[in-house]
Formats: sequence, C-alpha cells, structure tokens
Amino acid sequence: MDVKVNLKEIERKAYTSYHQDGLIDVFAGFIILSFGPWLMTDMAWMPAVMWIVGVSAYTAAKRAFTIPRIGFVKLAQHRAKALYYIAVMGFSLSALLGAVVFMEVEGGSLPLWLLLASEYHMPIIGLSLAASFCAVGYALRIRRMYAYALLATIMFAVGYFLYYPLQYYVILLGTLILLSGLALLVHFIRDYPLRTPGSMGDDGSEGQRSQR
Amino acid sequence: MAVKDNEARDDEFPSIPKIDRLIHEPARLTIVAHLFVVESADFLFLQHQTGLTWGNLSSHISKLEAAGYVEVIKEFIDRKPHTALRLTNKGRSAFKEYRQNMKQVFEELPSSRKGV
Repeated sequence: MDVKVNLKEIERKAYTSYHQDGLIDVFAGFIILSFGPWLMTDMAWMPAVMWIVGVSAYTAAKRAFTIPRIGFVKLAQHRAKALYYIAVMGFSLSALLGAVVFMEVEGGSLPLWLLLASEYHMPIIGLSLAASFCAVGYALRIRRMYAYALLATIMFAVGYFLYYPLQYYVILLGTLILLSGLALLVHFIRDYPLRTPGSMGDDGSEGQRSQR
Repeated sequence: MAVKDNEARDDEFPSIPKIDRLIHEPARLTIVAHLFVVESADFLFLQHQTGLTWGNLSSHISKLEAAGYVEVIKEFIDRKPHTALRLTNKGRSAFKEYRQNMKQVFEELPSSRKGV
C-alpha cells in the first residue's frame, strides 16, 4: 500500500469536490468573455471592472451555493501559496510585457521579436491562456482546467489559419467555459439539495447525511 | 501465555507497539487523513468526504480533540455560528509518525513464505 499516493488522492478528491460546483469555470468564462467587448469597442476598462465584479460575485456565489451544501474547506498552505505566487507572477509578467511593448511602440522602433509576436499573436494568446489554465489546474487540482487549456490552444491555433478577428475566438472560448460552468452548477445544485433549516445543527451540521 | 505471545510478536515486529491506536481506528484515520491535506474544514465538508454520520463524526472528533490532535474552532461567518476543524501540530506529527510506523510494519513482514 502506497500511503503517499492515497494522501494525494484524498487531497485531489477534497479539492475536486469543493470545486465541482462549476463556479470557478463561470468566473473564468466571464473574465475571458469580458475581453471580447473590450477588443470590439476599445473599452479598456471593461476587463478590470469585470474582474472586480467577478471576484465579488464568485465569493458571494460560493457562500450562497457551495458552503451550505457541501461545507467549507480552506486550502492547504502550500497550495494557497502556489496559487498566490502564480497570480503574482502572472500579473507581473503581463505588466512587464505591457510596459516593454508600450516603450517599444512609443520609441517608434519595432524590433523583430515584436513583429514576430504581432504575426503569431493568436497562438501566443492561446498558449498564454493554456498556461494560466494549467497553473490553476495544478494549484487547485482541478483536472478539467487542463481540458480548457487544450481547448484554448486548439482554438487559437486554428484561429491563426482562419483569419477571423481575435475577439470572435475570445468570445467563443469565454462562452464555452461559462456554459460548461453553468452546466456543472446546475448538476451540483441538483445533486446536493439544500437541507431544510430544521435538519441543520447550530454549526451548520446536518441531521442526516445527503444521499447522492 | 498471552503475555509470552505478545512478547514474541513484539520481537518479530518491533514497530507494532509504536502504532498509535487512536489514529489506527479506520474512521479516525480517515478524518485525520482528510484534515492532513487541508488547512481546515468544517463538519459538513468532512461528513461528505468521509461518509460518516453526524453522530459518528462528532464522537470521533471529540476523541481526537481530547488527545490534542484536532482543534475545534468556533467562529461566526455572516452572523451564523460555524465550526471549523484543524489538525494541530501534535496531530500532524502523530499522523506522520503513524505513517512511518505502518510503513515499517509492512517492511518487517516477510515478502513470501515457504510452502505457500
């Protein structure tokens, strides 16, 4: 019996069940989707506003749907730290890249790497999204994030050859992930019905265990 | 006679007496293993994960709490009472030691027997 493997499985099961509500998918889809209107209408503030709205809505939805149904769990410290470092690194790299591109464009010279990045922007965006999904999938141990990573890679790789505007792919990917999350949420609500207040203890405990 | 048998067994498998019986009980082992991989969890989450009934879980948690392995944190979230459970440092060390001892017990077992 390999004890280490079993503990990993227990950890994976715990995190998977906490995120089986699909809310993180809805959140991710919503954020990706918000880049569509930005690209179409040049409303650069849109993703930032959507991020703030999305985080608040995610927290509220987690409290309203998930915690009363399956309870609350706090991530192990090393997982929480990994997620924090991934977020900080993601933001830092994006900010650095944005600053470099801005300085190069303002300077009037376009180096070769920027021309290449502009030429291959579709696969680059697809791979960046895929890397983000993989990072979240690793930190939170959600396997379906790897499927989204694959979807993003394929969609933007195909997009490179089809020549449709970028925003179409962004909106399509965001919508697919959002719908997938909503489907998971519906299943989750159906699988874990809310107990009546009479069957709950003071501390949120149930009188009887739910039958799945 | 029984004492002699026990002594003989202890000589053969020296790691067995080191096994923490409090953790070794299957339900408690499941609870401790689940708390080991997270920072903290509440009763409802543990109930879903372990498949134990409320009463069963409560009684095992009380034993683990009495041994100082589990900390029961009572708090208010959105003005509602909420009970969170966390493995203490003592509990974490005990579980690590338990795993180590169990591993040793299995290593001490003969891999094959003659004539079997």
